[in-house]
Amino acid sequence: MALTRRGVLVGALAGGGLVLGFALRPRSYPAPLAPREGEYAFDAWLRIGTDGVVTVAVPQVEMGQGVTTLIPQVVAHELGADWRQVAVEPAPPSARYANLALAAKWAPLWMPLAPSLADEADDLLTRRWAEHGRFNVTADGTSLDAYEAPARAAAACARAMLAQAAAARWGAAWEACDAQGGFILHEGRRLAFGQLAQEASRFSPPATPPLRPNPVAERPGEFPPGAPLRHPRLDLPSKVDGSWTFAGDVRLPGMVYAAIRHAPIGLSASVAGMEEDAAKGTRGFLRTVTGDDWVAAVALDSWSAEQALARIAPRFMVAAGVGSDAIDAAMDEGLRTLDAHRLRQEGDSAIVTGGMPIQLRYEVAPAVHATIETASAVARLRDGRLELWVGTQAPEATREAAARALGIGVRDVVLYPMAIGGSFDRRLEFGQAVEAAVIAKAVGRPVQLTWARREELRAGLPRAPVVAVMGARLDTEGGIAGWRARIAVPATAREFGRRLFDHDLPQEAISAVAGKADAMALEGAAPPYAIPHLAIDHVPVRIDLPTARMRGNAHGWTAFFNESFVDELAHRSGREPLSYRMAMLGKDPRLAECLQRVAALSQWGGGADASGQGIACHVVGEGRIAVVASARRDAEGVRVDRLSAVADIGRIVNLDIARQQVEGGLVFGLGLALGCAVRYEDGRPDSEGIGGMGLPTLADCPEIEVEFIESKADPADPGELGVAAVAPAVANALFSATGLRLRRLPFFGEDL
Amino acid sequence: MTRLTVNERPVEFAMDPRTPLLWALRDAANLTGTKYGCGVGDCGACTVLVDGAALRSCLITLAECEGRFVVTIEGLSRDRSHPVQQAMVAEQAIQCGFCTPGIVMSAAALLSANASPSDAEIRAAIPNLCRCGVYPRLLRAVHRAAALTRREDTIDAAPAPGIAPQAAARAVPALTPPSSLTSSGETP
Repeated sequence: MALTRRGVLVGALAGGGLVLGFALRPRSYPAPLAPREGEYAFDAWLRIGTDGVVTVAVPQVEMGQGVTTLIPQVVAHELGADWRQVAVEPAPPSARYANLALAAKWAPLWMPLAPSLADEADDLLTRRWAEHGRFNVTADGTSLDAYEAPARAAAACARAMLAQAAAARWGAAWEACDAQGGFILHEGRRLAFGQLAQEASRFSPPATPPLRPNPVAERPGEFPPGAPLRHPRLDLPSKVDGSWTFAGDVRLPGMVYAAIRHAPIGLSASVAGMEEDAAKGTRGFLRTVTGDDWVAAVALDSWSAEQALARIAPRFMVAAGVGSDAIDAAMDEGLRTLDAHRLRQEGDSAIVTGGMPIQLRYEVAPAVHATIETASAVARLRDGRLELWVGTQAPEATREAAARALGIGVRDVVLYPMAIGGSFDRRLEFGQAVEAAVIAKAVGRPVQLTWARREELRAGLPRAPVVAVMGARLDTEGGIAGWRARIAVPATAREFGRRLFDHDLPQEAISAVAGKADAMALEGAAPPYAIPHLAIDHVPVRIDLPTARMRGNAHGWTAFFNESFVDELAHRSGREPLSYRMAMLGKDPRLAECLQRVAALSQWGGGADASGQGIACHVVGEGRIAVVASARRDAEGVRVDRLSAVADIGRIVNLDIARQQVEGGLVFGLGLALGCAVRYEDGRPDSEGIGGMGLPTLADCPEIEVEFIESKADPADPGELGVAAVAPAVANALFSATGLRLRRLPFFGEDL
Repeated sequence: MTRLTVNERPVEFAMDPRTPLLWALRDAANLTGTKYGCGVGDCGACTVLVDGAALRSCLITLAECEGRFVVTIEGLSRDRSHPVQQAMVAEQAIQCGFCTPGIVMSAAALLSANASPSDAEIRAAIPNLCRCGVYPRLLRAVHRAAALTRREDTIDAAPAPGIAPQAAARAVPALTPPSSLTSSGETP
């Protein structure tokens, strides 16, 4: 992102020291962090104390992805700090921290009528909208894209000011000073940042941040196996001794605990009744609180609240509870009969119209996030002011929703950003914060609400079901002349957008987007291959089940369709699957390199002769990945022995975090390939625990090896690549191993 | 009233003795490092040591803990010095950190009984669910922790909490000890 229209603000700390804020213009936005005495009132990207501690504000929520380390690392590199002097703090929602990169990416969701006016981060409309709405959502791999440039600029200015302070003492030219290891250096002399911070705060930041020639980068070649970490994650020491706190770990004086039950998913869900007297005598039980479609019990501890709720036995009414049979029928009917929106067309439309010589059908069932942390929040209402402790990817929308529910102003809601215990986009929904606020108001005491696992499965919205018919026409050599993807899926991204941006209830959102084209629901559908005649069609099926975002999002199904299908075409043409792909990748040499490297890494043997190897590749944004899976079928079912992956994510800020993200993505995607599915009946899921969902465990986790291509391209997010590519790699491996072609996710349910 | 020893301290819980240990630890003793993930023994996030054995604290009642010795993640070591804690940080076998305390307790119980576990023994001893997918690093981390336990290796990946500023400044030249501060001493 360019640095235009931004400026660096500077000030002093109460006890001496330097603060730098990176401000968006106009500068009239209120400060998100209350200034201390003597501190200037603006947001802080970084502060340098006289003790030498450099504190970096991170405006994105930590949910395991490592952002608490990445942004400080950008600052430390640019500043020339010692990694051991760097501290970190979460930043609250503020116009100062607007996520312009995501605002631009999600323009189709907040401005569906004319997204092209705001699809660039530098568009005036994007900036105004994002700042006005304090939009600092953490999603879609945009953290570095959005925040690296401003964090870097603030650090570069801080370095220049520290150098000016040192140069003034030495009578030297500040431009001749260097900064390393937390010191300003000049001709053998050195002064620590902490010694200079107070003096530095009296200088003005340079008009143009004097950036170092190279941005932070950890090159894969510099880290052979066993090499020490250069920037260990800052959050891990406190995660290993129990002191890292999630929303459910907040404890306040006088706080009470709530348990909750939700109505089934469906139309006009409401509370029908309960046996309130049955809870009397339950030790520690205080009272019940009833919402539109939920009932909560409040007690002195969580378990007693749950016991009281069981005795109260809330009953719900629902006009039409969602059912999987009806969903399946609607998906099937839609796929066969509805008109499609053509999202993309290349070449001659006649070649991709009507029946195609090869047509294959693939399916994806609704899947749940199955985070280990369940939804939780703490709320305290005092003197008309609500305080919320909650882990949310959308903090400002959470504040707004709580304010609306209590009939108070947004400025009277204080949100303390808490870390999230694995989200995978589940915490883009935040109903628990609103519920906690309502309960706290009713009870008149601070309340902690933690959803039981059962409620997480009942009231958490799943990933959308998808059905696709992939069609192809081959040329005389067996290459792909024509390709058509006809993909039936609810307009799930826009449905989510209605909930987030238009405050729609789930069923309202379904109605609002019914029948509308949704390009984000088909992201990744256009294959990376050079195919002369191509069509991508969206059939926006309406189903009664509300659907949500999930790690990988549309790539979670489009990669499965494309890479299974292209594998099938290779086999039908009698061609080797790797070279079949390589022949079509003339326009994407970076992806071709990933494929070649993964072939070497995995000792790819061609996938023939029941070797059990399967290959797949995929592109997410500017990130690329190729995966080889080794799988077999044994007495216990499908077993994946090994996953080899090579990714090109451009310049890498932190190599081991990138590796964690790819490894974790592969494991998460494996979970989606082998389990995580639910079926619904009368608005309830068929599973209320995570024990029987086929989630990967240590015992069945394959051996995983990940390598990265060295690159100077702009950084791409590694988080979703593995999720997307693993399912087709495993499907292709199982075809190699067994001759069976699995065309449904998850694979369970088909005859193995 | 149920009496037991938690992290070497005698504790009396004024709660319904049928309360599962998990909620007694979290909501009464404020030992929130032990996590709730499912309540029925599926996820292992609530694993603690009871008389040295790794048990899921959601499946055992306070009454059943009468007179027993419970160790939670907070009591495993005072300074993150347990071999499993050090190895988990060193291998970065942690992402969101929610399942971590349970995994650490499972691994600690394993190593206290077997300082040279095989891959198969580690897999069997750590049934904990982790959705971030740290599994590829877990075997490595537990093997390293085992080597530490056998005193064949040293790691200082996770610094002790609450290091005094003077001590920090001795180790990190860029930090300035408070005694040399020129201001009132209030720092950001």
